Parts: sequence; C-alpha cells; structure tokens
Amino acid sequence: MTTRAEFFARIRGELRKKPALFAASTAARPEHPATQADAIRRELAERWPETLEAFRLEFERVAGVFHRVASLDDVAPTIDRIARERGARELVSWHAASVAGDGLSRALTARGLGVHEMPAGEAADGAERARLRAITARADLGLTGVDLAVAETGTLVLVSGAGRPRSTSLLPPCHIALFDRTALVESLPQVGVFLEAWHRDGAPPADGAVVNFITGPSRTADIELTLTRGVHGPKEVHAIFEDGGLRG
Amino acid sequence: MVDIARRAGARMAVKSKSMATEEIDLNEALEREGITPVETDLGEYIIQLAHERPSHIIAPAIHKTKGQVAELFSRELKRPVEADPEELTRIARAELRQKFLQADIGITGANFAVADTGTVVLVTNEGNGRMVTSLPRVHVAVMGAEKVVPSMTDLMVFLAILAKSATGQKLSVYTTLVRGPRRAGELEGPEEFHLVLLDSGRIAQLGGPLREALSCLRCGACLNVCPVYRQIGGHAYGHTYPGPIGILLTAMLEGTGSVKELAHASSLCGACADACPVRIDIPKMLIELRREVGDQKIAPWIERVTFKLLAQVLVRPALYRLAARVGRVLQRPFARGGTISGLPLFLDDWTRTRDLPPVAARTFQERWAAEREAAP
Amino acid sequence: MTARRRVSLMVTCLGDLFFPDVGFSIVRLLRRLDVVVDVPPAQTCCGLPLFNSGYHAEARAVAARTAELFRDSEHVVVPSGSCAWMVKHEYPGLLAESGLAALAGEVAARTYELSQFLVRVLGATRFTSAVPGRVTYHDSCHLLRGLHESRSPRTLLENLSGAELVDLPGADECCGFGGSFSVRLPEVSTQILDKKLANVEATGAGCLVACDAGCLMQMRGGLTRRKSPVRALHLAEVLDGGRP
Ligand code: SF4
Repeated sequence: MTTRAEFFARIRGELRKKPALFAASTAARPEHPATQADAIRRELAERWPETLEAFRLEFERVAGVFHRVASLDDVAPTIDRIARERGARELVSWHAASVAGDGLSRALTARGLGVHEMPAGEAADGAERARLRAITARADLGLTGVDLAVAETGTLVLVSGAGRPRSTSLLPPCHIALFDRTALVESLPQVGVFLEAWHRDGAPPADGAVVNFITGPSRTADIELTLTRGVHGPKEVHAIFEDGGLRG
Repeated sequence: MVDIARRAGARMAVKSKSMATEEIDLNEALEREGITPVETDLGEYIIQLAHERPSHIIAPAIHKTKGQVAELFSRELKRPVEADPEELTRIARAELRQKFLQADIGITGANFAVADTGTVVLVTNEGNGRMVTSLPRVHVAVMGAEKVVPSMTDLMVFLAILAKSATGQKLSVYTTLVRGPRRAGELEGPEEFHLVLLDSGRIAQLGGPLREALSCLRCGACLNVCPVYRQIGGHAYGHTYPGPIGILLTAMLEGTGSVKELAHASSLCGACADACPVRIDIPKMLIELRREVGDQKIAPWIERVTFKLLAQVLVRPALYRLAARVGRVLQRPFARGGTISGLPLFLDDWTRTRDLPPVAARTFQERWAAEREAAP
Repeated sequence: MTARRRVSLMVTCLGDLFFPDVGFSIVRLLRRLDVVVDVPPAQTCCGLPLFNSGYHAEARAVAARTAELFRDSEHVVVPSGSCAWMVKHEYPGLLAESGLAALAGEVAARTYELSQFLVRVLGATRFTSAVPGRVTYHDSCHLLRGLHESRSPRTLLENLSGAELVDLPGADECCGFGGSFSVRLPEVSTQILDKKLANVEATGAGCLVACDAGCLMQMRGGLTRRKSPVRALHLAEVLDGGRP
C-alpha cells in the first residue's frame, strides 16, 4: 500500500523524465455541456423520425426487438402480447413515476399480469430488500424506462436511482424498455455531452450510483466461439417507442 | 484485498473477468483465507473448473472444445451434460445465478476509470459485470493505474475503439459506469465500494522505454493477428498476459530479466502494431527489450560472442570474403543438388525442418568483379 | 534528352552469398531500362540482423560503414524489403548518435526497394515473365507494414506478359522467418511456414514470388524439403524473362 501523496509524487517524477512523450491530446470537451445538451435536444426535436429509424435499425442489428405504438393506451396491450407469446405471468417494474405513471400498472394488472412495482425509495429493512430481490429474481419480465436511446449503436442508457433499481433490467430473462422521442440521441459523442452535463451541472435524470449502457441482449461466445444469448443478463430486450410523449 | 474481504466477513467472492486480479494471484490469496472465489465470465468459469489459467485476454477459454466443457460441467454437477453450447450456457446461467445472489463480495477489474467524475467503467457482453457490481454487499474494483482517462468525452471515444477491436461490435452489450456505493434513496447496490490501483512497475515506465505499452486497452486484437500466438497459444508464454503485448507487460511488471527468452519469441512481422487501435509499436519495443537483455549481459554468453563476432566480420570486407570462402569449404560435405538438408550440432536448428541454400560457388560481388575485369 | 539515371545496387548479405543470380537479374532489368548500374565495392550487410537482436552499438558500426559506401549514389536499389526498411527507417535514428544523421537521412531518402523503384520512380511496369503460367505473391512483412508497399509488386506481376497472377490467401501473413527467430524457435517458425506453404499450394500456382531474400530462404527451404513442385523466386528473377 502506498499513500495517495507518494503515489502522485511518483507519477509526477516519472513524467518529468520525458516530457511530451505522450503526444496524444484529450478529446475536446464541451465548454457548457448543459447548454449544448439543450441544443442537441432542440435540433433533434425537428428530425427525430430519422433518428428513430436509425435507432431501430441498429437496435435490431444487435438482436433487440423494436415496437412502436401511437399512444400510451397501446403500451399495455403490447406488453401483454409479449407476455402471452412467452407464457410469462410475472412482471417487475420500476416505480411508475420513472416509467409512464400509474395508469400503465393498472392496465397491465387488469389484463391479468402479476405486476410488482418497485418502491419509490429505499426498503425499510434488510428483510424487505431480500423480498423484493427474490421477486425480481423470479420474474419473467422486467419493465423500465430509458434515459437515452442512442441511434448510432442501438444502445439504451439507464441511470439507476430512487425507484429505478438496476436489477429490473438485469435479472428477468426478458427486459422491456419504454421510451419516447425525448430520450433519442444520435451518437456516442452526444451521450458524452449528456454525461458531462449531468455530472457538471447536476440535474441528472436520477441520482443513482450507476449508469448502464445496454446494447442488445446478454451474449457470449466463450464456448468454441459459438454465439449464445442470455448467459447472465436477459436473453431478450424489447424497446417500445411511444409516439405521443410519455410525460404529456 | 484480503483484508477488505475478511472485514466484510466474506465466505464467497464473485468475480467478473479481470486480468489485473490474475496478475496479483488474488484467487490463491483468497483461498488461503478460506474465501471461495468464483469466476463468473463464462470463459473464466470454465477454466476455473479446469484449474487452468486464461489463454487469451478476451476469450480465456478459447483453447477448450465444447466436449471438454461438457465434461467439466458434468463433473461439477455430477450428472451427464450435453455438449451443446446453448445448453452449456443455460447451465452456467443457473449455476452462477445462485452464486451471484449468495456472494458477500464482488470483485471486478475495470476497463477504464474517468478522472473528473470518479467513475469506474466495466465493459462486458454477458452481464456478469453488472451482477457483480449490483448484488453483493461489497464491491472491490482492481485496476492498473494506467487506465484512467480524463473525462466522459474521452471515455466515449475509447468505448467505441475497445468494442470494435475486441469483438467487432459498435459497442459491447453492457457498459457499466459505477460512481461508488449505493446512494441514498436507492433500493439496491453495494454498501461499500473500494478501488485498488495497481502500480507494479507501471509508474516507473511512464518515463521509460515501454511507456507506450501503458496505453494498451487489452482488446486482444494484437493476439488475434500474431502468427506466433496463433501457433503456440496463450499458455506457452507462461505469464499473466500472453501474446506480443504480453511480453512487454511482463517485462514492465516483472522486470526485463523475466523476458530474456520471450523477447525473442516474435518474428517482428509487425502485424500486431498494424492491428492495434491505439498504435502501440510493439515490435519497436521488443527490439528495445532485446537490447536491454543484451546490455545487461543476461543473454547467454555464446549468443553475445556470436553477435559481436558477426559485427566484426561485417565491418571488415576482407574477413567477410574470407568467411564466405570458409563457409564454402565447410558446407561441402552437406550440400547436395544445390541445397543443404542437414547440418551437425546447433546448425541443425535450421535444417531439421527446412533446407538451406548453400553459399554460392561465387558470390555476387566475386562474379561482378570478375566481369568488370573481363570487360572493363 | 534527359540524363540517364544512375543506380547503385545494395546487394545485401543474403543476396551476395546465397542468391547471386537475383543481383544479376536486377542489373539486366535496369540496364534494359537504360539505367546505369554500379555496385559499390566491399559491401557486407545493412546491419539489420544485429539491430533486430538488440545489438545496437554493433549495428551502428555496420550501418555507418554501409551508409558511407552509398554516400554519392544517385539512387540506391535494394532487393529486400527488410534491408530497405532498415536503411530508410532505422538508419537516421541509429546513426544520429554517431553524428551521421545528415548522411543517414540523405541515403535513406535515396533508397528504394526494387519494385518501388521500378514502378514509382521509373514508371516501368511491362516485363516478360521468366516463368510461364500461374504465379502468386507473398507480401514480406517489412515491405508491407514497414514501407507500406503492397501495390508495386502486384502491378508488375499483373502486367507481366506470359504469367497470370493469382491471389494468395493470407498473403500478408508472416512466413515465419524473422531473422534469428527462425533458429531460436525453429519449430514455431516452421509451423508458421507450413501454414503459408499450404496456402501457396492451394492456389495452384507454379511459382511463388517474394521481394525479400529472408522470406525466400525460408519459403524455398520449406518447399524443397516437402518436395513441392512450386518454385520460390525473387521478383527480379521472374521479371527477367526478356533475357538477352
Ligand atoms: S497492444 Fe493494442 S491491440 Fe494489443 S491488446 Fe493492447 S490495445 Fe489491443
């Protein structure tokens, strides 16, 4: 073990020996990331249909299943259909406030699904936490919202936080993510702008410990380079795009 | 590390693929404390069951067939298992799922760390990295001190490079940005988060001749194109990091002396440098290592004498001409039909497997000089 | 009328000792293109074997001597990609320590591998093949990745009258020679070679062409050992079909 001061002193000492050998310069960072993030949003408000189409192509290329619905009323029937096709009964969901509001859970319950909505905050005690984890581990479907949907790579970016447990998109064999045009971005560099903005100017979509990029279902090629899915994470990832706007 | 695990009262540790923990023999250290380390990357899990070490930095079990994997699984589960990748993967999911849920501590490497946000970044395709950082009560990340990038903006660049070079994807399936333990209001996540930075010779190379190797992303592209690696496989290198970049990293971590033979295990064909997404000039540094091996006089004396003699001959044309004549005399008993198919002693290293052209009856320069005289 | 071009041939140690015919093919090719050829006397070696094995002080002495021999040359032509790479790529750095940076830089700038000189300097691309039928081409590592040249030799072979160039699968992969590597790890070196030769034989070509004496030594040695009908020849020998 070394103290922090020793550690940095050693690095500085070594770097002094041969200055400027690392010619690589760092990427140009946005001056005012929040302003730039707003600008990206404004631009995309105009050309979101192209971005959505690009996202769909990439998302399907990484073996995601894409659905598009006209309004919030069509979301429950779509999820219901996914569930029926798989003989799935139990669904865990982020807290309603982080997905699409109370109505969706009610509609899904009315269709006969067992809906387990995660609490808006921490569990009261360890026992409660264990109970919720067991429910998640047993569930057939996990329903979440989406913070960013990246067209370039077909990636869903999910920030953890209160009411948005990370296990919802991880433990069930089928992950369903619901989003609208406000989540769309075009590229990884744009994601970088949002991450900088969330960090520097605060106001992230949630104040959790983890940001997850999800690009298709879990996969491995560790046995004879044969591609198989769902080794640890979900075997299927569905993205439902809602045209009307989830938050009114 | 062992201290952290002991304080956490851990009995089982789940790990996601980390070359850094291989480097420090962490599994052995944990076992000595009675803590069972469980590798959760499918490839690592397989080789852990086989009591082996990874042979590739991206595909650690690439040397195993599905039949061998099925055998390992059936021995572990004490029941017959079908040699089908789909089925084997399903079994591994069920087995490892239990371990994720039971483990007290999660140990990961890190692909990057972002300096200005204090974020540790893990890239996996299977999702085990997410499991290990989400489910156990304690998360410890171990990484080489060189993996820090300045900002999120830089990170986006590197994520794309890494995925493309490692597996040809635009982005790996899961990229997890960890900003520390569970935060207030969150339902889940570890209560403790520790980050261990490894120096082991790295910092000394910041100003050293191997400094370029510090930019390595561990994408494995150089291994996949290396003719030597493709022939001998990862284990033959005998150290944590295989392949041409592995020789440099081994020298960095364990000193030049540890690679005095390995430094020569390359034809310097340059395919690695060509494939490397961050343009690490591996052949140049291998030559540099050879130079150090020679300078520090840790090369065998017979080799040093041979090369010094060779140099003497090559700066004295008279000696060079004499050597050609001597060669012609000595090769006489062995040259047949214009080739040499067998030579005595160490000279047989070439001729055991290949023919050798004999020294020409008259060298180019001898003929050229003769022609000049004949027709000035 | 423009002045005739002048070329100094750097025959290289392997070319001098083992492949003298290659040197004479080059002389004939160049003379037919109206180039004046000379061979600075008392040549030995470029120093690459010493350099690559880490004997840099020794390599420097050899390099200094060789650079000096070609001080006044208008163009230096080398039959091996690896030696050309050594002169062009490593001489300047290596000789800077002996105060010969300027000389090394000049010689480096005037040095060409044979195929590059023919195509890129002389613009000569039409030759007659000395070996009729199918030929295939192996990229030597230093020419391809060191000097970034894959085009010139192919241009010459594609335009070669009397021969048909066929693609070699894995043409850009090493033949396993690697200088001292070939005797330090002979088994590995030969396994790599075997893969290369299997690819060569699969093409159905009767002749394997290369632009490096090291690769030729390795591949020819392997071919004759396996009693293959395929011949391994230097590019210059193949282009030299119009022999007077
Ligand atoms: S040296 Fe380059 S190619 Fe090899 S693993 Fe490192 S980054 Fe990848």
